[in-house]
Amino acid sequence: MRDVYVAGIGITTFTRLEFALSEIASYASMMALKDAGVSEVDDVYVANMGAPRVNHQTALASAVVDSLSLTPAGAAAIENGPASGGSAIKAGFQAVASGMSDVVLVAGVERMREVNNLEATDFVATLTHPIAEYIYGVTLPAHAAMFTRLYMEKYGVTERHLAMVGVKNQNAALNNEWAHLQQEITLEGILDSPEAMTNNPYVAEPLRFFDACPVSDGGAAVILVSKEKALELGRPLIRLSGIGQATDTHAVHERVEPTDLLAVRKAAADAFEMAGLTPEDVDVAELHDAFTILEIAESEEVGFFPKGEGHLALERGETALGGKIPINVGGGLKGRGHPVGATGVAQAWEIVTQLRGDGGARQVEDAKVGFTCNFGGFGNNVVCLTFVREG
Amino acid sequence: MNREIYAYKCKRCGTMHYPFRMVCKECKQNDFFEFDTVPLPKNGKLLTYTKVYNLPAQYEVATLGLGIVELENGMRMLGQIEIDNPKMGMPVKGNVEVVRQEDYDDFYGMVFRDA
Ligand SMILES: [Zn+2]
Repeated sequence: MRDVYVAGIGITTFTRLEFALSEIASYASMMALKDAGVSEVDDVYVANMGAPRVNHQTALASAVVDSLSLTPAGAAAIENGPASGGSAIKAGFQAVASGMSDVVLVAGVERMREVNNLEATDFVATLTHPIAEYIYGVTLPAHAAMFTRLYMEKYGVTERHLAMVGVKNQNAALNNEWAHLQQEITLEGILDSPEAMTNNPYVAEPLRFFDACPVSDGGAAVILVSKEKALELGRPLIRLSGIGQATDTHAVHERVEPTDLLAVRKAAADAFEMAGLTPEDVDVAELHDAFTILEIAESEEVGFFPKGEGHLALERGETALGGKIPINVGGGLKGRGHPVGATGVAQAWEIVTQLRGDGGARQVEDAKVGFTCNFGGFGNNVVCLTFVREG
Repeated sequence: MNREIYAYKCKRCGTMHYPFRMVCKECKQNDFFEFDTVPLPKNGKLLTYTKVYNLPAQYEVATLGLGIVELENGMRMLGQIEIDNPKMGMPVKGNVEVVRQEDYDDFYGMVFRDA
């Protein structure tokens, strides 16, 4: 297997975008191509969840490859729910590592604001089990809420811990010009003040408005290349050194221990093993905080903290910029936004930015090893990646 | 009418599944449709729950109660709950009712109430 490097990255602002879906993907891709200094690629993978349903468009990769004048390169769209981005990066990695391709463009994109919030919620809910979950009106916030209640009961996580994650990540987004939310929040405003229940109402008890990521449009892209090509291009050498992907039961109620996220645990362990790294080696991490509880639970399952102690590490400031293991310093999904298909690629974008030392006000000092966790379904399809700066 | 929701019992090893799957997760038997249907019990205890305020477009109610219940045979299922003050661990009793309506289609599922 050949080593694979990230030679270029690009991203759009995450917000409501009044551009066609393929243009959003193309914009991020053009930035990545320019960053890498390439104008031809062997293959294009486009990560997206909702185009057929939300945007009435199929075969998205064919549109993107032509829009970018990259024909006759191979092109395919990858739909894998919220883990589409990580899955497309895995496909790109396999193409280069196998020797079949030398240069691959991986773009992730979603345009969910084309429909109203209720339709967007319903569209995402279609990833749940059709008979045992979806017909009941289950949404992703509902799954996260039921999971949160179990976590609170078992480990002593409180609404204050959840709010602390929300404040940390939303305010971190103020240091990221591409992030969706650009409004500072405080624990006082969303939890303690008399107005908190008005500012921050429940969306699915015990989760409140500020515990959930916003609904965003946006795109992100990376260029994956062989070592030979990476050396030729002369960009900073960032190696995609580990990949793990794991699945779990489709219906959440079937999991033996309902507070475990076994697919996260296995995907992370596999990525670390492939890379020859341990969780202690990680300098900066992107975890999939679609809901605040998920950052806490994932920080345990990937091995940063013992199970049930993620909220204690949060209290000690270990997950903030300057802490032992800074998590979501660019805002995470909570602050940056969550255009579903783009998220896994946007996580890689942030980590490569950090490993290049280009993080500006949110730079983790001397970051050499980065980690991402892209959480699909409600934890039933997860992709974890490790990145290492060489030299 | 007394409607049921069914679990699927593997004819080879006896493992019960809900919802339906094509291959038994325990013995991985690869024979087509080798499951017996067994009605799920309706009594159980509430494992976790939520009250949802942002509902998919089809629901014309302000909030919806949802929960995961551990049934008296140890199996679990998700259902709607109609309970004023739900508590984790409380005993509940289910009934199969319409849980979603789309255009002219009715979808039936379990609704749990205080037992
Ligand atoms: Zn069996």
